[in-house]
Amino acid sequence: MSGVVLNKIVKKYGALQVVHGIDLKIDPKEFVVLVGPSGCGKSTTLRMIAGLESITAGTLAVDDRVMNKVAPKDRDVAMVFQNYALYPHLNVADNIAFGLKIRKVPKAEIRQSVQEVAEILGLTDYLARRPSDLSGGQRQRVAMGRAIVRHPKVFLFDEPLSNLDAKLRTQMRAEIKRLHKRLGVTSIYVTHDQVEAMTLADRIVVMNEGRIEQIGTPMELFNNPANRFVAGFIGSPPMNQLHGFLEADDAGPVAQIGRLKVRLPKSEVLENQNGKPVVLGIRPEHVTVDEVPGSFPIRINLDLVETLGSEALLHTDLDGMTFVARVETLGEISHLSGVDTLHVKPDLLKLFDAETGRSLSVDARTGT
Amino acid sequence: MTIQEDSSSRNSDVLAAFETEDQPASGGRLEAAIDHLRREWQLYLMLLPMVIWFIVFLYKPMYGLQIAFKDYSIFRGIAGSPWVGLEHFETLFANDQFLRAIKNTVTISALNLLFGFPAPIILALMFNEVLHASYKRTAQTIVYLPHFISSVIIAGIVITAFSPTAGIVNTIMGWFGLDPVYFLTQPEWFRPIFIGTGIWQEAGFGSIVFLAAIAGVNPSLYESAVVDGANRWQMMWKITIPSILPTILIMLIIRIGNIMEVSFELVILLYQPATYETADVVNTWIYRQGLQSGQYDLAAAAGLFNAVVAFILVMTANTLSRRFSRTSLW
Ligand SMILES: Nc1ncnc2c1ncn2[C@@H]1O[C@H](COP(=O)(O)OP(=O)(O)O)[C@@H](O)[C@H]1O
Ligand SMILES: [Mg+2]
Repeated sequence: MSGVVLNKIVKKYGALQVVHGIDLKIDPKEFVVLVGPSGCGKSTTLRMIAGLESITAGTLAVDDRVMNKVAPKDRDVAMVFQNYALYPHLNVADNIAFGLKIRKVPKAEIRQSVQEVAEILGLTDYLARRPSDLSGGQRQRVAMGRAIVRHPKVFLFDEPLSNLDAKLRTQMRAEIKRLHKRLGVTSIYVTHDQVEAMTLADRIVVMNEGRIEQIGTPMELFNNPANRFVAGFIGSPPMNQLHGFLEADDAGPVAQIGRLKVRLPKSEVLENQNGKPVVLGIRPEHVTVDEVPGSFPIRINLDLVETLGSEALLHTDLDGMTFVARVETLGEISHLSGVDTLHVKPDLLKLFDAETGRSLSVDARTGT
Repeated sequence: MTIQEDSSSRNSDVLAAFETEDQPASGGRLEAAIDHLRREWQLYLMLLPMVIWFIVFLYKPMYGLQIAFKDYSIFRGIAGSPWVGLEHFETLFANDQFLRAIKNTVTISALNLLFGFPAPIILALMFNEVLHASYKRTAQTIVYLPHFISSVIIAGIVITAFSPTAGIVNTIMGWFGLDPVYFLTQPEWFRPIFIGTGIWQEAGFGSIVFLAAIAGVNPSLYESAVVDGANRWQMMWKITIPSILPTILIMLIIRIGNIMEVSFELVILLYQPATYETADVVNTWIYRQGLQSGQYDLAAAAGLFNAVVAFILVMTANTLSRRFSRTSLW
């Protein structure tokens, strides 16, 4: 099995365990994003892969070679740090060349590699400058140049864009994606920003409190979150989670959410579970103001309209529960102010076990 | 593929300028100053004790400097003494003892710069490599300690250690069959002992400022270097030392500015007439002329000369540093 393989990786600081057995297989050339709230152990996991932290238990292998005890420099990985980690006393060219100089690569070769990398990153005109004379985006590029120039087997990124302003972040995100397409190097990218994860990743690993909640492509996570945590983390605004319980009538199971009854498809999982507390998940995007074929209506009290331009967020109250809808404006929001009924497309609803938070993996059908 | 970037999105830390409110457009400078004072009076109040200290102890005595150009007598007073122009300076530069004192001062300071200045830096770098926390703490405390001991006691320890009869140095030399040496009466031994004592006394305490500078180095620079394959030695040379270079240069400027100020107490405590030849520095000479022989005007002239030289040295060092390393005191 080539690529990067993490097998039951555990990290403890003294008695404090911060990573609880991570299992992850990353294919060659894949772009994997570790995402999760701050403090969930993403950086720690990445740093164990880099060799900056020891691995308490489990094995790490890169291209079938166990790396647990291998020195960082011999792991053939390159890391890009959040604060760029540029040497303030060296100019851009020397910063990029640092790793090669340490490895005693011949001078002529270094010069050529630096030139190549500078061209890829658009840094040719800045090679003689010190980092303090560069903008944030340029510094970020130099930091990536330092990683690229070594032609490593794996790139590790730890929140590389979080020091940039929003506009530049979007721009650099696209650059990173393009760079990955061009270089095709296995990349592991850590971020707390789900938008960054969705846009960059081939596969996303959602982490929470030192554990993996779910692994999947961006669309898999969006469409089929394995549990309430992933449902709440992926997507913006997050999925509405409405508490209720299971009922059954002659036609089959229903979810009773306040006064709202939502018809559920017949399923073994839902049989003889009357009274079981459940959570119904409705994505804000899967709600419309106008009736569409197959949709069912829900009555709401409109609280607030937030305009985003082509879309608007409706903050509403549904039987005492907050409910957010993301609807199209068609360039006009006056018709939204009087809304008291929204329409939900039933085929995209999610049902979760309220106690375990796990997905009951049945699609709800119709509301009554 | 090249990347364009909006130059307006420069990182804010580059432009971390200190911003103040604009002065009101109307009204003169005086009004603006009064207005400023009214708003910021607390700050000036806090500054006041320091200003008073400067006036009383540094500026007021400057009035007395004029005796360097007068034939001063305590009975006539400063104002009543007649002007004599540069007579005292002519006397000074015709005086072999004074010229010898200048030469000794510069020599001792140069040696101190050569051996004494790097000592705390090396010590700080060594402490930085110690990983065992409690061992490090203990070692640091031990080397800081001499700084807090009075120079009189330090000199006493040194004199005892080098004493020809019971001193530990001569005792050890005796084990190897060497004859006892009267270290403190021999001119050629004064400078090594003086500089060694200075290092012992101050290197540890002096290392604190460099340790603080090292602590300020961004840790991810080291992590990045580790991933790049640097070993500890390379990290010290390529990261730690360049990162603390501004601190080193600032300390060097201060040190160069103090070249004329050889630690006066320690010289007085360690020298004796037999070693004046290598030990007598400008300040000790001034002390003997002024306070012991009562030639205040001559001593003041020597002191003024000393201060002017020191001033020129600080200015030069600062300018050079600013030009070559972008680091300067002002
Ligand atoms: N050196 C350390 N000693 C003790 N706890 C640590 C250390 N480094 C990180 N932690 C803890 O480990 C947890 C995970 O940290 P980290 O991996 O940095 O989270 P993030 O997902 O935000 O990158 C945090 O709760 C943090 O407090
Ligand atoms: Mg982190």
